[in-house]
Amino acid sequence: MIKKILIVDDSPVSIKIIKSCIPKDRGYELFDAANGQIGVELFKQIKPDMTFMDLTMPVMNGFEALQEIIKLDSRAMVVVATADVQVKAIAKVHDLGAFSVVKKPPTRENIAAAILEVEDVLKARG
Amino acid sequence: MDSNIQDAMITEEETDILQEIMNIAFGRAASDLAEYIDIFVILSVPFVKLLRSSDLPPYISAEIKDYDKVSLVEQNFWGKFKGSAFLVFPADSGKKILSLLDGSDEYFESDPINELEKETFREVGNILIGACIGKIAELLGDVITYSPPRVVVERSQRGIISNSLFAEDDLAIVLRTVFEFNEKNISGYLFIVTSEESFAWLKTALHNFLEQYEC
Repeated sequence: MIKKILIVDDSPVSIKIIKSCIPKDRGYELFDAANGQIGVELFKQIKPDMTFMDLTMPVMNGFEALQEIIKLDSRAMVVVATADVQVKAIAKVHDLGAFSVVKKPPTRENIAAAILEVEDVLKARG
Repeated sequence: MDSNIQDAMITEEETDILQEIMNIAFGRAASDLAEYIDIFVILSVPFVKLLRSSDLPPYISAEIKDYDKVSLVEQNFWGKFKGSAFLVFPADSGKKILSLLDGSDEYFESDPINELEKETFREVGNILIGACIGKIAELLGDVITYSPPRVVVERSQRGIISNSLFAEDDLAIVLRTVFEFNEKNISGYLFIVTSEESFAWLKTALHNFLEQYEC
């Protein structure tokens, strides 16, 4: 069951877009962070059920933040939401432990499907 | 540029949208290039700046001040979104990119391969500029035509940037992104400059882009 969702992205517009794509009728509590470093700190504090992670960010990029989060919790559900659609970038985030990847600009359907997939895994974990 | 003029011409939200669109567009362009050459492009956060057209050459010169000699691909584009794109590499990158393309060992500096280098830059420019501008146009609902690229190899960066497309007193929006090719330690800049006559359309298009996500 997903209660808290963390969005890590340096672009206020991108955060706004992702938030607008998240279904409103499920009562999710949404948090956001403007770079990877703030994202990792917030992850420690709020322990979100899932995280949307951008890759190209100042201070700490998404590759590094993903690595840090997986170090903190190897079962963390991190969905990378990125404009970096290079095959090698996508392979790299999977290697680092990302659950899935959503290409930017996201659609409501893509975001809803990513959330549903995370829900399914969390349900199966019990 | 006076910050008051900047605020008047382009709002913070419009800058954010443009930055995100550039991020998406250059991400797509890098992916296209990585399919063509077996490389990994390290992307950075794009930057948006408003300035007078007459300040464009000194601005770009200042940005690339670490490069003494540069190679450049310049391409103009026309649509509702109108302007010029400048792809700039440091001088020694041509042979490095060429070796990535044909898989051979690195070329020596003395090798007489100027024409090959020129063709390489033309191809890389076609992919990066074409895919990036094309994606920006697609996201903003425009159709673009391009001029043939102008390729300049290993010249002093002084005076290399022209602003012939823009009237001197006009304003221009510059989108800048810096990138690196992981494999050969090659870095470069892409500047996309849009002219003042596109501003009104661009502002509306940016708001339309965001509106599709508003409830």
